[in-house]
Amino acid sequence: MKRAVVICPGRGTYNKSELGYLARHFPDADLLGAFDAQRAEMGQESLVALDQAEKFSLAKHTRGDNASALIFASSLGDFLSIDRESIEVVAVTGNSMGWYTTLACAGAASAEDGFRIANTMGQLMQDNLTGGQVVYPFMGPEWERAPDRLDTLMATVGDIAGREGCELYPSIHLGGMLVLAGNEAGLKAFEAAVEPVQGRFPMRLGNHAAFHSPLLAHVAKAGRDTLPVSLLRNPDVPMIDGRGEVWWPHAFEMADLFDYTLRTQVIETYDFTRAITVAAREFAPDLFIVAGPGNTLGGAVAQSLICADWQGLDGKGAFVERQESEDPILASMGLDDQRGLVT
Amino acid sequence: MDRVKLVHENFLRRVAQGDLPQGLAPQGPLTKGQAVGIFRSGCLSRALDRVSRAMQARGTGYYTIGSSGHEGMAAVAAALRPDDMAFLHYRDAAFQIERARQVPGQTITWDMLLSFACSSEEPISGGRHKVLGSKTLNIPPQTSTIASHLPKAVGAAYSIGLARRYAPEHQALSKDAIVMCSFGDASANHSTAQGALNTAGWTSYQSSPLPLLFVCEDNGIGISTKTPKGWIAATYSDRPGLKYFSANGLDIYDTFRAASEAADYVRRHRKPAFLHLNLVRLYGHAGADLATSYLPKGEVEAEEANDPLLHSVRLLGEAGALPPEAALSIYQDTERRVEAIAAQAETRPRLHDAAGVMEHLIPPPRSNTLSVRPDANARTAVLGDEMKAMQSPQIMSRLINWTLADLMLEHEEIVLMGEDVGRKGGVYGVTQKLSKRFGRARVIDTLLDEQSILGLGIGLAHNGFLPMPEIQFLAYLHNAEDQLRGEAATLPFFSKGQFTNPMVVRIAGLGYQKGFGGHFHNDNSLAVLRDIPGLILAVPSNGADAAMMLRECVRLAREKQRLVVFLEPIALYPMRDLHEAGDGLWMRGYPDPDARIGFGEVGVDGDGDDLAIVTFGNGTYLSHQAKKVLEKSGIATRVIDTRWLSPLPEAALIEAIEGARNVLIVDETRRSGGVAEAMMALFAENGVRSMARVTATDSFIATGPAYGATMPSRESIIEAAKALVEKSR
Repeated sequence: MKRAVVICPGRGTYNKSELGYLARHFPDADLLGAFDAQRAEMGQESLVALDQAEKFSLAKHTRGDNASALIFASSLGDFLSIDRESIEVVAVTGNSMGWYTTLACAGAASAEDGFRIANTMGQLMQDNLTGGQVVYPFMGPEWERAPDRLDTLMATVGDIAGREGCELYPSIHLGGMLVLAGNEAGLKAFEAAVEPVQGRFPMRLGNHAAFHSPLLAHVAKAGRDTLPVSLLRNPDVPMIDGRGEVWWPHAFEMADLFDYTLRTQVIETYDFTRAITVAAREFAPDLFIVAGPGNTLGGAVAQSLICADWQGLDGKGAFVERQESEDPILASMGLDDQRGLVT
Repeated sequence: MDRVKLVHENFLRRVAQGDLPQGLAPQGPLTKGQAVGIFRSGCLSRALDRVSRAMQARGTGYYTIGSSGHEGMAAVAAALRPDDMAFLHYRDAAFQIERARQVPGQTITWDMLLSFACSSEEPISGGRHKVLGSKTLNIPPQTSTIASHLPKAVGAAYSIGLARRYAPEHQALSKDAIVMCSFGDASANHSTAQGALNTAGWTSYQSSPLPLLFVCEDNGIGISTKTPKGWIAATYSDRPGLKYFSANGLDIYDTFRAASEAADYVRRHRKPAFLHLNLVRLYGHAGADLATSYLPKGEVEAEEANDPLLHSVRLLGEAGALPPEAALSIYQDTERRVEAIAAQAETRPRLHDAAGVMEHLIPPPRSNTLSVRPDANARTAVLGDEMKAMQSPQIMSRLINWTLADLMLEHEEIVLMGEDVGRKGGVYGVTQKLSKRFGRARVIDTLLDEQSILGLGIGLAHNGFLPMPEIQFLAYLHNAEDQLRGEAATLPFFSKGQFTNPMVVRIAGLGYQKGFGGHFHNDNSLAVLRDIPGLILAVPSNGADAAMMLRECVRLAREKQRLVVFLEPIALYPMRDLHEAGDGLWMRGYPDPDARIGFGEVGVDGDGDDLAIVTFGNGTYLSHQAKKVLEKSGIATRVIDTRWLSPLPEAALIEAIEGARNVLIVDETRRSGGVAEAMMALFAENGVRSMARVTATDSFIATGPAYGATMPSRESIIEAAKALVEKSR
């Protein structure tokens, strides 16, 4: 029996090659039907239709009201597909909107209620698009630790945030990447301040708002006004949030979880790197499983483990070597060969 | 019989069978979620105890003093805020674990296991020592074995009120924070604990704010010696100035209730409280200690039957917070999880060499906002007519007084404390008028207890003040020196420099007071200060040096966060003349406020190459007297004032004696363990062939006409110098 921490991805992971992911992998047609019933009630296009569209449409599939639901459903479907005879899930965590998926995977919300939270928040984000996000790496191509470079970057962010008219906040600590949230002036100032690297950074994230920043306080409030605390319940397994806080079953008040979910994590920095560090050091799993579509989060998980100096991982080379060994540390369910390790 | 295994098996069996110890129903303000959280912290503490022993057995762990039986301390943590500074007893793993739950992103299991493994990656001490502690969690590391952390807890609590009036730049505690300190029933008897409790009561009795919560963890036994039944309650339930609270420490609901009430009382009234918890000690004192070798087996089993985790299972079930089978799962899952983490933690690197161990003996420097040197008007406003007197030579005590005034004027975070330093201005007048000039809050007349004086200083330093405690006489330091040795000096060592307590301790000492006082006012032993790693010891010999060295000492404390002792030779306080009455040659002008003598800079007077006299303090004075006579005899002499006695300024001393054919060490401390021993060794190792020493004899100082008989004199220096030079010719 392997002890595993499951990681739920955030926005930006359902892309062209993931089209049809639900059709290929979602294990429970009735459940998917229940999700689509909710979407129909809200006047949204069905997941089945989106997933089985002939063509991937950047404009349509990456919109908040669609992307959140697609990613939630894909990730939860993967979680439900894990072979629990051979894998013991000791904790669940996630990145960004992956927190909503975490709630459902861990049992802190039923699948339907978890979907309601993710889908509603996705819709609210789309309805109240404010600001945007930009991503920039501070680790080099070999993923060597670079805390000094992160410090420098954070100093730049602080400097820009102090300028008249500029709003800029650390949005997500994502392994070797720093994701920033801000208004247009803040984001532009950052893009002008840093050196272009790897041919694509600094990179704007299309259809993304200024997630995890105070600019979304109104969305957080709308979420609290729309969604009742009764959607939440005691989880079956521990959850690690975007501060690295562990929510242990039975050991918290539901109002606090509600407040964290629909206030704190919406408006404060999401520290995914810390969440993975805590997952490693407080659970010491045999395996990290990235549920859901795509493989973009795998790199961030590996980089986070490198930052935590976990099991001798000190760079990309050591990670690749570990992955190629008989005892890989990471299984991404979006990759068919790795999916087989856990299903 | 392995009691650890027995307690473990008892837990599994009794929970499975529903055979739980009886007690009161759960009551009080604890919520279900909090209660389960506290139980989880207790289970983690227990699992860590068990795994620490397994690690020791397989050679990867080095510490087995456990917290089993004291899991209820998690309920105390839950009743406090994470910014309430906590000075913890060594059995308080559950407290730290629970506090870690109050601050997101902690990796408490990992950190604790690294500490058992003595890994250099352990975040508080870097693998130097097994301590509870965390910068983020406001838990300065302690060993707490003899409750020697209580005086500084009093000091830290006192600093909170003081910071409301004078907020220091490096303030660490919020104005509505309280301080908590915990200790066992056995160490409560220690004079240090008694002193701290007395000081807290004394302070509170006269209505000075002191938001301090004492927590006595009464498990009824200290290693093998039992605490008399009822002793703690009888002793502390009715002490003046100290409000008593008590609870059953085996009951997390009762403990949380009492701790909340006590914390609320302390926070609201800014007065100290004493929280008395009755609990049990499981598994004996430490890994190697078998309680059944000194206690009847029945008693040991009775304690084990009262396992607080079993009580918690019952309480959680009765409160509807958690069914017993879920509690059992938490216990078992926690243990498995800890084992898995331990397997990783024990692979992490450890310290190997002296350089690694010593890396944080000296704290890191800190940056300060530039203080503005007071201008002439500001100085005149404070010093008044005395500004004029500064133009003419003065005695040392007066120059130190002005130096203190200038320093306090420049740095508002400086606070003086000691016996009679305020209204009286010191028994030798060194702190005269400072209380009037800077207020009684910054010049504190303390009670008569040196441990409390130093504890007050250390505690204030934890909150960003720059304390300058005064020990009235060197002989009075000895009852309290552990506050410097075991507490102040070890803090950066135990915390990788994350916690510091910079300060300048002023001590009046050494001999030669004509016919006054005898030993207790003329102590001439410095050995106790010279072997404390990281401590700087400075001894001036004249007023100008004293002013310039004291400024340097304050700079070292303020900017380098150093622990400094400034030892003032009492006999030189009023000294005016050098060779004959009325010559005024030992008085000095007041040095410009900018002038300093650098750390390690020695004083050299003369360039004679027949003889270098290496000395300090009163020895410098006497050697200058001797120099005049020796030079008349044709012996070209130089006098080297060492000034800094720990660490010895070795390179500067070697440079200062260069070219001198003979070296005479004049040391007013004792022949055995005195400063001369180190100097002789230094010079011998550096190839000095012709040297001798004049030291005090291995005696205490007498009162009356023989006051100086055991110490170097002008005549004995002259005699030794002549003999040395003669011999080498």
